[in-house]
Amino acid sequence: MAAHSASASGGVAAYGPVSYPRTALVLMRLAWARTGSPLLILGVLAVLCLPVLFSLIFASRGALSGDPIDFLLARYDTIVAGLATPLIALLLGTSAFSAETDDGTLLYLVTTTTPRWWIVTARLLFAALLTGVLTSLSVFAAGFVAVGLSNPEGIVSAYTVAVFYGGVTYASLFTMLALLTRRSLVVGLVYVLFWEGALSETFQAIQYLSVRKWMTAIAEPMIAGGGDASGPSAAYALVAAAVVVAVTVFVGGRRLHEPRMGRIGS
Amino acid sequence: MTAATSAMVPLAFDHVSHWYGDVVAVNDVSAVVEPGITGLLGPNGAGKTTLLQLAAGLMGPSGGTVRVFGETPVRNPEIFRQVALVPEREALPGMLSARAFVEARATLLGLRNPRAAATAALEMVEMDTVADRAVSGFSKGMRQRTKLAAALVQQPRLVLLDEPFNGLDPRQRLHMMQLLEARAAEGTAVLLSSHILEEIEGVASRILVMLAGRLAASGDHRTLRRMMTDRPHTVRIRASNVRALASQLVVEPAVSGVDMDGADALHVRTTDYTAFSRLLVRAAKRGDVTLFDVQPTDESLEHVFAYLVQR
Repeated sequence: MAAHSASASGGVAAYGPVSYPRTALVLMRLAWARTGSPLLILGVLAVLCLPVLFSLIFASRGALSGDPIDFLLARYDTIVAGLATPLIALLLGTSAFSAETDDGTLLYLVTTTTPRWWIVTARLLFAALLTGVLTSLSVFAAGFVAVGLSNPEGIVSAYTVAVFYGGVTYASLFTMLALLTRRSLVVGLVYVLFWEGALSETFQAIQYLSVRKWMTAIAEPMIAGGGDASGPSAAYALVAAAVVVAVTVFVGGRRLHEPRMGRIGS
Repeated sequence: MTAATSAMVPLAFDHVSHWYGDVVAVNDVSAVVEPGITGLLGPNGAGKTTLLQLAAGLMGPSGGTVRVFGETPVRNPEIFRQVALVPEREALPGMLSARAFVEARATLLGLRNPRAAATAALEMVEMDTVADRAVSGFSKGMRQRTKLAAALVQQPRLVLLDEPFNGLDPRQRLHMMQLLEARAAEGTAVLLSSHILEEIEGVASRILVMLAGRLAASGDHRTLRRMMTDRPHTVRIRASNVRALASQLVVEPAVSGVDMDGADALHVRTTDYTAFSRLLVRAAKRGDVTLFDVQPTDESLEHVFAYLVQR
C-alpha cells in the first residue's frame, strides 16, 4: 500500500516485519488475562485432583486394590484421557475467544496486521501447552501416589507424552469450537461426556474419531509389553491430530477475517 | 475515479448495502470520507455501527463496494496500518494495565518499537500518569481514552470512531475534540458516529445523516441545521382561551393547521418555525389570551431524521 510510507519512514509508529514470537507472547498474555479467573482456576484444579484422588483411594486400600499396573492403565484411560485432559482443554481453549467475542474485545485482535492464522495458532498453543503441562502433573502425581517413582512398564512416562498429544488435539478442537459457536462450553461439555465418555467406549467405529482413543494409541507403543492391537494406530493418531490442527488454523483464521460482528458492535 | 486518485481517498462507499438475514442494516449508501472530520449522525439502529464495520473490513457488504485508500478492506489485515476502529463498547482486558494493553496492540500491529509508540499514544490522550494501573479500575472516560490511545498508537490515516463521546465529561469531551481536530489538521480522515447532533456539529466539517440504513442527508452542520429548522413543526400550546387563540392563528400564512386538544390546549402546525415564534406572541396579545405553555411535539431526533428522509 503506497500510503504506508508515511508511517514506515520512521518515528514511534514505524512498521517492521511481523514478529511471530513477539506476537505469540502478546496473544498468550491476552489469553491469560481472559482465562485467569479464580472460578476457572478452581475448576481446573478440581479436575486435576480427580486422578490423584483415585490413586489415594487405591493406595489406602493396600493389597486389596489389586494390580497397580491395571489400576493405572484404567484410570489414565478413563479419567485422564477421557475426562481431565478434554475438560481442561475445553476450559482453556474456549475461555479466551469466547470471552472476547462476548464482550467485543476480539475487535482489538482482528483490527491488527497480525495474520489471522497466527492468532488462532498462538491461542491454540496457549491452551495446548497449559493443558499438557497441567495434566502431566496430574498424571505424575497420580502415578506417584499409586506406585511411587517406579514408573512400572513405562506407563507414567507414556501417558505424560500422551497428555501433551491430547492437549494439542483437544485444544485445537475447542479453539475452533469457540470461534464457531457462542455456546462452545456447553457443546464441548456434551462432546466430552457423551462422545468421548460414553459413545467411544460403546461403538468400535467411533474409536477412529475419538481423541481419547487416539491418546491411548499414542501411549500404548511406549508401554513395555505392548498394547492392544485393535483400534487406531499411533501413526493414525498423529495424522488425525495434524488434520485437526490444520483444520482449526484454517477455519479459525477464516472466521477471524469476518468475526460475528453483531456481538462485537454495540 | 482513476486508481491513483482512488488510492488518495481515505474511504469511499459506492452503493453499499448490508443485511443480516431479513433485516436491512445499510441500504444503498454512497459517500466519500475525505481528510478532516466527518460526522455520522443517526438514531440508534440507523446502521452507523454496521457502516463503520464495513469500512474496517470486519465484514463484506452484501452489495456495492467499500474502498479504503483504493483497496477492498475485507480480508485485508494490511489496511490496519492505515485504519483504526474505536468501538462503542467499553470492555477492555481488565487484568492488563493501560500501558500493557496499548503496547500489546502496538506489537500486534507490527510496530518496531511498541513501548515507545504506546507511551506516545498514552501521553496524547493524557493517560500517561495512570498508564500502569489495571484498566478494570478505570472510569468510563478513562476507558474511552485508553481505547483511543490503542487506536492512535500506529498513527492511522483513517480513524473510525463509534459514539466516542459516550461517558466523557465536558472537559474530556473537549479534549477529545481537540485531539481529533489536531489529527485532522495533520491530514487524517476521521469518521465519528453519534446520535446527538450537538456532539458532532462543533467538530465535524461534514455530516452524513443516516436513518433506517439509508443516507438521509449530508452536508456541513449549518446546512443540516437549516434543513432541520425549516421543516414543518407541530407545537402544543396551553393557553387561557384556546378558541380565541386558534381563530387568531388560523389566518396566519405561516400556520398550516390548528387542532384542538381538550379545553385548554391546541396543536398548531407551522411551516416556518422562526416566523411562528414571533407571530404567536402577537396573536395572543390580539386575542387577549394568556399563554401557559408552548412545547414543540416533534423535536426528537427520529422526527427530524424522518423528515429529512421524506424530503
